[in-house]
Amino acid sequence: MLILHDYELSSEAYAARLMLGFLGLAHESRPVDVYPGAANEAPAFRRLSPLGRVPVLEDGGLALWDWQAILIHLAATYDESRRWLPQDPARAGAIAQWMAVGRELEDSSGLARRHLAMFVDADLPLAQERAHRLMRQMDEHLWFQEQAGQDWLVDGPHPTLADLAPFPAVMLSEEGGVDRRDYPAIRRWSERFRRTPGFVTMSGVFPAAPLG
Amino acid sequence: MTEPASLSAAERDAWQVVSPLDEIAAGREVATVLFGEPVTVAREGGSAVARRADGAAMPTIERYGYVWTSVGAPEGDLFPLPEFAEPDRRNLHGATIGVRVSAPRAIENFLDMGHFPFVHTGILGEEPHTEVKDYDVEVSAERDEVLATGCLFYQPMAAASAKAGIEVEYVYRVPHPFCSVLYKSSPGAPGRRDVIALFLQPVGEEQVRAHMLLSLIDDVSTDAHLRNFQQTIFAQDKPILENQVPKRLPLDPRAETPIRADKSAIAYRRWLSAKGVGYGVIPARG
Amino acid sequence: MQQDLRALWFPVASSGDLPLRHVYQGQLLGLEFAVWRADDGAVNVWENRCLHRGVRLSIGLNLGSELKCQYHGWRYANGDASCLYIPAHPANAPARTIRNRVYRSVERYGLIWSAIEPLAEPPVIPELETAEPLALRPMPVAAPASRVVEALRSYAARLGAEAVEPAAEVPPAGAFALRASWRRDGEVEAAAFFVQPTAARACVIRGLLLGDVAEAERVATLKAHNAALTALREEAEAADAREPDAAAAVEEAKIPLSPRVTTVAGGERAASGEAIRVRVARKWRVAADVVALRLEPISGALPPPAPGAHVDLHLPNGLVRQYSLTNGPAERDAYVVAVKREPQSRGGSAAVHDAVREGDLLAVSPPHDNFRLARGGGRHVLLAGGIGVTPLLAMAKALAATGRSFELHLFARSEEHAPFADDLGGLGASVQMHTGLDPTATGDCISAILADRADDAYVYVCGPAPMIEAAVARAEQAGWPDSAVHFEHFGNAKAVDDSTAFEVALARSAITVAIPAGRTITDVLREHGVSVPTSCEQGACGTCITTVLEGKPDHQDVFLSKAERASDACMTPCISRSLTPRLVLDL
Repeated sequence: MLILHDYELSSEAYAARLMLGFLGLAHESRPVDVYPGAANEAPAFRRLSPLGRVPVLEDGGLALWDWQAILIHLAATYDESRRWLPQDPARAGAIAQWMAVGRELEDSSGLARRHLAMFVDADLPLAQERAHRLMRQMDEHLWFQEQAGQDWLVDGPHPTLADLAPFPAVMLSEEGGVDRRDYPAIRRWSERFRRTPGFVTMSGVFPAAPLG
Repeated sequence: MTEPASLSAAERDAWQVVSPLDEIAAGREVATVLFGEPVTVAREGGSAVARRADGAAMPTIERYGYVWTSVGAPEGDLFPLPEFAEPDRRNLHGATIGVRVSAPRAIENFLDMGHFPFVHTGILGEEPHTEVKDYDVEVSAERDEVLATGCLFYQPMAAASAKAGIEVEYVYRVPHPFCSVLYKSSPGAPGRRDVIALFLQPVGEEQVRAHMLLSLIDDVSTDAHLRNFQQTIFAQDKPILENQVPKRLPLDPRAETPIRADKSAIAYRRWLSAKGVGYGVIPARG
Repeated sequence: MQQDLRALWFPVASSGDLPLRHVYQGQLLGLEFAVWRADDGAVNVWENRCLHRGVRLSIGLNLGSELKCQYHGWRYANGDASCLYIPAHPANAPARTIRNRVYRSVERYGLIWSAIEPLAEPPVIPELETAEPLALRPMPVAAPASRVVEALRSYAARLGAEAVEPAAEVPPAGAFALRASWRRDGEVEAAAFFVQPTAARACVIRGLLLGDVAEAERVATLKAHNAALTALREEAEAADAREPDAAAAVEEAKIPLSPRVTTVAGGERAASGEAIRVRVARKWRVAADVVALRLEPISGALPPPAPGAHVDLHLPNGLVRQYSLTNGPAERDAYVVAVKREPQSRGGSAAVHDAVREGDLLAVSPPHDNFRLARGGGRHVLLAGGIGVTPLLAMAKALAATGRSFELHLFARSEEHAPFADDLGGLGASVQMHTGLDPTATGDCISAILADRADDAYVYVCGPAPMIEAAVARAEQAGWPDSAVHFEHFGNAKAVDDSTAFEVALARSAITVAIPAGRTITDVLREHGVSVPTSCEQGACGTCITTVLEGKPDHQDVFLSKAERASDACMTPCISRSLTPRLVLDL
C-alpha cells in the first residue's frame, strides 16, 4: 500500500494527490500537523524526510520526500500508458522545463500564499513580482499553443507532468495576491486540466463546469 | 497613545484577539497588527503582555487559549464561553489563518448554512439536500449577542470523527462583533455538543487573522487529524471570502439580496448597525 | 474635462476567450464583468457579482444556459440574468426582482464589445466589415490607456517597418482606437488597435490585423506582433513606473452598491415583458378533481420548457401559483398544466376550477427548470404520487422521444384519480399504475421498484411530502446515492401563510382597500396608486418597513427583531398580513 504523508493545505502535497488520483492509485493518507504544529520538523518525521518536507511518499521500502520526485516516481512506476511522463526525447526536455517553472512558482506565488495565510517570512512584493513574470510567460506560451491546436504546455493529446507540476501553485496564486485576470489562456488551460478524468480538488480549488 | 480616529467605542473599548497562547510559548514573541497598528505579544514573568510599537503596555488578558488586548479601555471581561472549562473537553487551537476580507464578512460566512452543499461538498453538505429550514434568531438584550437556534442541516461528514451522514443541529452565537461560536451535535457523544469558535483579529478593514478554537468531545482523533479537518473546511471558505466584492460588509440590507435563510445574517447586520460598528463595514445611509 | 468613458463601447474580450462552458473575467473602467457564452452561442456580459453576497461570478460554473454561483448555487438565466433557482429554498420560485446587472454587448470582428452606459450603438467599422481580420494576442499593460495609445502611434517603427501613413484614430470607435499601416516586403499591411481601459492605470491592447494572412504564416505573424507589443508593454510600464502621469489615469466607474429598490406599479411590471400573455385554449377534466389547461400564446412563440419545468401562473384573482408543465419535446405551441382542487384552498386551485374559462386571458412566466433529467443515464425511474405526475409526464415523454430507458410508476387512490390516462396510455408498457395502496404498502412497493440499482440509474420523485420522504428513505435503504435521487415537492412549501383576508386603511392617503387571500399588501396598494418601495419581497431586507397606527400585524418576515414584532408599531407589508380585520398604516 502506498502511504502519503499529507497536509491538506500544502500545494506540493496536492500535486502528489493529483497524480495518485489521475492514476487511480489506492493509498493511505496520513495527515501531518504541519501548521501550526510543525510536526514535519520533529525528529520522528525528519527520519522520513530529512529536510522536514511534506509530502512524503512511502512505496515499499522507498521513501521520497521531494514532491516532484514523487510525481516522477508515480508516473514512471504506475502509468503504463506513459502519458504523464512521455519518454520521447523531443518532449522530455520541455517537460523538465515546465516542471522547473512549477517549482519556481511554489517558491514565488506559493511563498506569497504561505506568507499571507500562515505568516511565513517573505518579501511579498518580490515573490508576487516573480510569480507574475512566470505566469506572463506561461500565458503567452499557452495562447500560442492554442493557436497551434494544442491544449497543453507540451505538445500532445494528453496533459503531462509539465501541466501537473505548475497547476497547484497557479490555482492557488490568488491566495498569494497574484491575480490571474490578466492570464486568460492560463484560466482556460486550468479549466481543461480540471476536466481530466481522475482530477481531484483541494480546498481553494473548485471543479470545472461539466461539458455535457 | 493615539487610537485610529475611525474606531467607534464598540471596537476601541472591546477586547480583541491577537495571538494563540501556543505561539508565545517557550519565550517566543509574536509581532502582529491590530486595526492597522503593530502590536507585539510575549510572555513576561508568567503573564502575556501586548505592547504597542512605542513599547507601551496595553490591557491584556488570556482567555480560551488566546491573548486578547484592547486599544482603548475595556470595561468588564470577555464574553463567557463556559464549555471551555468542562473537564472532559479537548480544547485545541485549530490554526491561525490570514484572510484578505473584512471581519464581518467572515462572521457572516461562519453563520451561513446555505453554502454547505456547494463549498463544503461531501463534508458539511451535499446536493440535493440544499434546503435551509426555518430556525430561530434573537438578539439577547441582557447578553448583547445574536443567537440562532434550531438550525438543522443534513451533513454527509459532520466532523473529523463522523462515519456517516446525519442531520445536524447547530446553535450559533455572535457574542462579539468579530467573534462567533457554534455548537453542533457531537458525533461521538450523543446529547453533547462540539464547540467551534472563530475569533477574528481585525488586522485592517479588509484583512483578518482568523483564530480557530476547537472544544470537542473527542478523545480518539489525533491533533493532526482534527487540524487537517478544520483547516480543510476553513480553506474551502477562504477563496469565497477573498472573492467577495466589496470586501467590507454592506450594512444596508438592500445593497445585496438577502433571503429568508439569511435570518441570522440579517440580525447580525442590524446588530452591528445598532452598536455603531464601523470597522470593516459599509454603513447604511440615512 | 475628461470624456465620460462610460458612454463609449470598448472590446472587453476576444471571441476566442469564450470556449464552451467557460466564464471569462473581464474588466472595464475598474468594473468587473463575468463574460460567458451560452450553449446557444449568445454572449452574456454581466456584473461580476452574485446579487446575494457579492461573490464573483467568474469563479462560478457555466452550465450552458445558466450561470451558477459557487457560493450558494444560485442560478442565473442566459440572457436576462434573472435568478432561476435558490437552492436554500428549493420549493419557492425566486422573486422576480432578483436579476443581475446586464451590460449591453455585441460580438463583432472577433471581439466582444460592451459599454457601461452607452449613448450610441456599438461602432461599425467599414474596413472591418469586409475583411476577415486576424485577432492578435491581447496584451495587458500596467499603464494608463492614453499613454499606451501614444506609444502605439509609432507601431510601424516598433515592427521595424516603414509607416505608410501616420497612425490615425478609427472614427466611430473613439480616441482609444488607432489604425496603423506599414510597408513590408513591398506590401502594405495595416492593423486596428483598440485600447481597453481596464482600470485607472491599466489597459489591454486588442489588435486586429487587416487583410489576409496565409495559413502557413499565421503563427509566425502573430508571434512577430506579439513581440512588438510585448516590447511596447515593457516600455510603457517602465515609463509609467518612472514618472507616473497622474493626468493620464482614467476615471473609474463606481461599483453599483446602491440599494435595488423596486417601486414600479404592478401593471407596469406585467408590461415589462416578464410575463407572457396566454389564452386558455382548452380546459378539461383529466381525473377526479383535476382539470388541465391548455395555454396558447397570444402572439409569438413560447420559450421551450425543459422536461420537468414549471411556470408561475397569474390567476384572475391576482394569485400567482406554480404549476409543472406536462409538455413533451414536440409540443411547442402551448403550455399544458394540470390543477387539482384542494378543499382547503381559498385561492389558487379554486380559482382555476371555478373562475377560469376557455377563452380567458392569463399571464405565465417563462419556464423555470429546477427539476431536471440527468444527462445520460441508463435507466430512469419516475415515481409519481397523484397530481405529482405532471412534471414526470413531461420527462417520460422526453425520455421516450429520445429512446432512453425509463419506467413511470403512478401511485393514485384509484384509476379515477390518475391524471392524464390518455397520455400515459401512449407511453405503453413503461407506465405502471399502483392504486389504492396505504402508506406502508406504497413504501414497500417503492422498495421493490428500487431493489435493483445500476450505477447509471436515476430516480425522480414528485408527489405529496410524505410520499417524497418515503421514497427518499427507501432509496437510501436500497443503497441509492443521494446524487441519483431527484425530487420536487408539489404544492407550495412556503413558510408564509397568505390565506387571510383583511382591510388596510391608509391614514395619510385617506383610502381603505381590501386585501384578499393570496395577495400582498404592497401589491394591492400599487394597484391603488400607492407605491411602497420594496426590494426582496420576502420579508428579508426591511426596505418596505411601514409604521402601523392601529391593528395587530401578522408578522411573517425574518427582518424585524422580537421586540419590534411585539410592539406592533411597524411591519413589512411586502409579506406580512393582519391578525385583526383592519390595519391602519402610516401611508
